[in-house]
Amino acid sequence: MRPEIAIPEGLLEPALTVGTVTPGSLDDQVLAFPETLPPRQWYIGIAITLSALFIGLGFIGYTFYKGIGAWGNSSPVFWAFDIINFVFWVGIGHAGTLISAILFLFRKRWRNAIARFAEAMTIFAVICAVIFPLIHVGRPWVAFWLFPYPNQRALWTNFRSPLLWDVFAVNTYFSVSLMFWYLGLIPDIASMRDRTTSKLRKTIYTVLAVGWRGAATHWQHYEKAYLLLAGLATGLVLSVHSVVSFDFATSVVPGWHMTIFPPYFVAGAIFAGFSMVVMVLVVVRETMQLKNLITMRHLDVMNKVILAMSCIMGYSYMMEGFTAWYSMNEYLHHGFMNIISGTYGWAGWLTISCNIFIPQILWFKKARSSYFWMIFVAIAVTIGMWFERFVIIVISLHQDYLPSAWRVYVPTMTDFGILLGTFGIFFTLVLLFARVLPVIATTEVKAILPGAQPSHHGDDHHV
Amino acid sequence: MSETSFSVLGIFDTPNSLMAAIPKLRATKLGTVEAYTPYPIHGIDEALGLRKSPLGGMVLVMGILGALTAFGFEYWISAVDYPIITGGKAAGSWEAFIPIMFEVTVLFATFTAGLGMLLLLNKLPFFGHPVLSAKAITSITRDRYVLALEAESEAFDSQAAVAALQAAGATDIEVLPAPDRSPFLTSDYILRTLGGIFVACLVAGLGIFTLTKWFPLLRPMVNMQDQPRLNSQKPSSFFKDGHGMQRPVAGTVARGHLPTATGKQEEAASLVNPLPRTKEVFEVGRKAYHNRCEVCHGALGNGVGSLTAAYGGKPANLQAQQFRDYPDGKIYWVIVNGKSAMPSHAADLTDAQRWSVVHYVRALQRAQNAKDEDLKVVAP
Repeated sequence: MRPEIAIPEGLLEPALTVGTVTPGSLDDQVLAFPETLPPRQWYIGIAITLSALFIGLGFIGYTFYKGIGAWGNSSPVFWAFDIINFVFWVGIGHAGTLISAILFLFRKRWRNAIARFAEAMTIFAVICAVIFPLIHVGRPWVAFWLFPYPNQRALWTNFRSPLLWDVFAVNTYFSVSLMFWYLGLIPDIASMRDRTTSKLRKTIYTVLAVGWRGAATHWQHYEKAYLLLAGLATGLVLSVHSVVSFDFATSVVPGWHMTIFPPYFVAGAIFAGFSMVVMVLVVVRETMQLKNLITMRHLDVMNKVILAMSCIMGYSYMMEGFTAWYSMNEYLHHGFMNIISGTYGWAGWLTISCNIFIPQILWFKKARSSYFWMIFVAIAVTIGMWFERFVIIVISLHQDYLPSAWRVYVPTMTDFGILLGTFGIFFTLVLLFARVLPVIATTEVKAILPGAQPSHHGDDHHV
Repeated sequence: MSETSFSVLGIFDTPNSLMAAIPKLRATKLGTVEAYTPYPIHGIDEALGLRKSPLGGMVLVMGILGALTAFGFEYWISAVDYPIITGGKAAGSWEAFIPIMFEVTVLFATFTAGLGMLLLLNKLPFFGHPVLSAKAITSITRDRYVLALEAESEAFDSQAAVAALQAAGATDIEVLPAPDRSPFLTSDYILRTLGGIFVACLVAGLGIFTLTKWFPLLRPMVNMQDQPRLNSQKPSSFFKDGHGMQRPVAGTVARGHLPTATGKQEEAASLVNPLPRTKEVFEVGRKAYHNRCEVCHGALGNGVGSLTAAYGGKPANLQAQQFRDYPDGKIYWVIVNGKSAMPSHAADLTDAQRWSVVHYVRALQRAQNAKDEDLKVVAP
């Protein structure tokens, strides 16, 4: 027996759920959603998101008809909304993997209740992200040329190009996220399979649950696989946005060519991702009556992560200024001055305000526990992080080494339409997911409920 | 219970009672003890005496294999099959291969962990397991904990198993009938669904094929395929004179060429000889002068050439003070444009040859008007 140590009240882990939650009540609460018809707000919501989606599809169709000339991209700003949106959406995805993988390795048990939704958002965000590289190549029907495959032209890809690294990184990220998400879903789908009475649903769930029967011999390998996947995904989540940042950092454009880019991009991705997760979870918590499972503590902890990331972003911005000054390089000076006072100076200050100043109100407990302030911050961060990529890409490109080529970039309606469309795709998928699959990883939450683990086997310190 | 059975399930209400029952059941040696739980129970692996999962080793091996595969692939492509030098790096420089090696390592390892666990270790998908059709399955995936005594042989004593489970504290007992050893998918319904999906795919595929065959599709990205442009020698309404091809603007210098002498001779005075005064340049100049100029201007540049008498012409005496004071550009202008009876030599001499001739003419002028200090021997 270990000696009992009296732990002060303040150091004890707060309850993971509110009220009495039993495995049975959890199933009845969470798994019942797919079995009932959605409420009216859901139809209104999906009507709005589907409209956005179709507007976006329309503009993508127009792009296919017309060509890339339908966008505002023009020399020297060859990368604009397409790459901004790509980096933005890949970044949004990072919160999901962070919650599901890194917090799993850190044994943060509270992550069990929100991991499923965050992982789903990862997948949807990456789906939105991959649209952009595909459509911006100009001839999307030969986009598969991005992959090194034996072909009759006897050509291979250039393995020294960070753009090719990006192809591998994003594809790996999507495959791994999907695998992680699906493996986590299997036991939950098995629960749904065994409680549904609808024959059609039963068939679908039976196939999707691959005959999962909860055998101890299976759980043993399953847990091991989950742990390994968490470890692998942790390395991956840090690498993906680093590789995305290489697209910029390995070039010689002033404002891109910086060693701080990989960690700065990863922090920014987690920052934006957590804001999106907070935004969506607040809505889910309220409209789906999940207040007992997604507690204020979850939101509080996530707001703290946002605050911490905001501070890292502030440091990165200062380092960008410091590098520009310390390098004694006139191009870097000019690039930095452009951010704070150029044609797009407003975008620079919008980025700094939204990402650095506004999140500071999360230092107050009141703000961290108020829907108004946390949503306010989350929206500000989402806007700020989108504009951060705008600042990095457009400001750096529109005035680089060759003054005769300078040009002010102006986006077109098509650019905005496609951006709106990706928000439509993302939220449509989120809304569909909320109705057809378990929004909370019931199996994982069951395992951390009080009394879920045998009492003679130590206490519940390992999950 | 006359039916043969290979499996008896006992339902327990708490993880504690489940864990307490395991050693008792294992001691009966009636069959394999297996547990079915809604979520992983800690310590159950040891209690059931399960071997450690070999997944970690599998993932490690496949991860290393992934790294080696990526490296081999990248090296073979970049250094052997398609060596293209980019960024001035050696074809086989491996540092750039690391990001993709990492990604492929993770990819191999992930698929090994996920699919290896499901397909190899857990032998899923498998829809025919008897537990899946037991009444207890709805409790298993919900909130009950089940211990099963299972055997593969006809000798399994289900009566004894029921008694043992009861003695171990099971609240409910279910004797499973012998599984019908039907194939992979037991339910006809699932098979019919899959068949339906297949037919739907077939119909959709054929439909799209016929549609694209019969109806012309809109051509995508039209403005990338039909780019308005002017072909040479074709008319164009864009320009006032109706020609597609336009003369270059005055003063245009062709790429790889030197500014040439157009306009008046006075305007050319500012042109500077771009060539250095080296032995090679003088040699080029001497040859060109010998071939093109000497017949009129004479070997010494004094205007007494071999053709002068025959034609009665009066070529310029380049030794005259007027021409010794000429700037280089004006001499060059004459070579290009000709003057008086002298025709243009632009077609015969390249830029470099013309300027070399200018140098050579300067040398002739100096040789004919040498001063005393010019006689000093310059050390070679």
